[in-house]
Amino acid sequence: MDNNSGIALDLALCQQDFDPHALLSSWEGNHRSAATAVFLGRMRDRSLAGETLLAMELEHYPGMCEAQLQELAMHHSSAHAVDAVLLRHRVGRVQPGEALVVLAVAAARRGPAQRCCQDLLEAVKHQAPFWKREITAAGRCHWVQGNTPL
Amino acid sequence: MQPPSATIEVLLFAALREQAGWARRRLPLKEPCTPLQCWKDLQLGGDTLPTEIRVAINQRFAAADTPLIAGDELAFLPPISGG
Repeated sequence: MDNNSGIALDLALCQQDFDPHALLSSWEGNHRSAATAVFLGRMRDRSLAGETLLAMELEHYPGMCEAQLQELAMHHSSAHAVDAVLLRHRVGRVQPGEALVVLAVAAARRGPAQRCCQDLLEAVKHQAPFWKREITAAGRCHWVQGNTPL
Repeated sequence: MQPPSATIEVLLFAALREQAGWARRRLPLKEPCTPLQCWKDLQLGGDTLPTEIRVAINQRFAAADTPLIAGDELAFLPPISGG
């Protein structure tokens, strides 16, 4: 979709595993911007405490989460005057190695593309209502408290 | 004065939901009513809202002293961990 400033925003939550490279390839074919910045985040196979992880469950607040993603993407894409944003974020049960988040920003130059990608990613991590619950190979479950450091 | 049927919906997520043992509850709206008052009435964890808990009203972040009105959806959000 295009917002009022003409920036193309393609944002969605994904219940199932997806191929981030196929997604990016398809998305890049839709525009001709000179610069594209991409962040791809995958699920770790170990917790910060060093436990082997079996899976992760990503809970979200339906409705608010989608609205926040839209608002954050509109704000940061406008602030950096970029051309297009692609965002996919997993929800539900995720396996180690699967893509958790893909964020791509297309712009006329590398500066706006990279800065928007970083700012929007940090905003999503702190302002969009997602919660991670790690399930360890030993059968323990715990909620991840906050975000990992940069 | 609100009519007797005036209610709000309270939602809990993630660790808060597991600690409380429920996810969604409808409450009669008392006057005056704020998210902080609901937090205390529901005995979700003391008389003050912990700094790490955020409030959303009708799916937008809000302050804990925001007045609630009938039909509001109030959510208490534990620390966010997306991305």
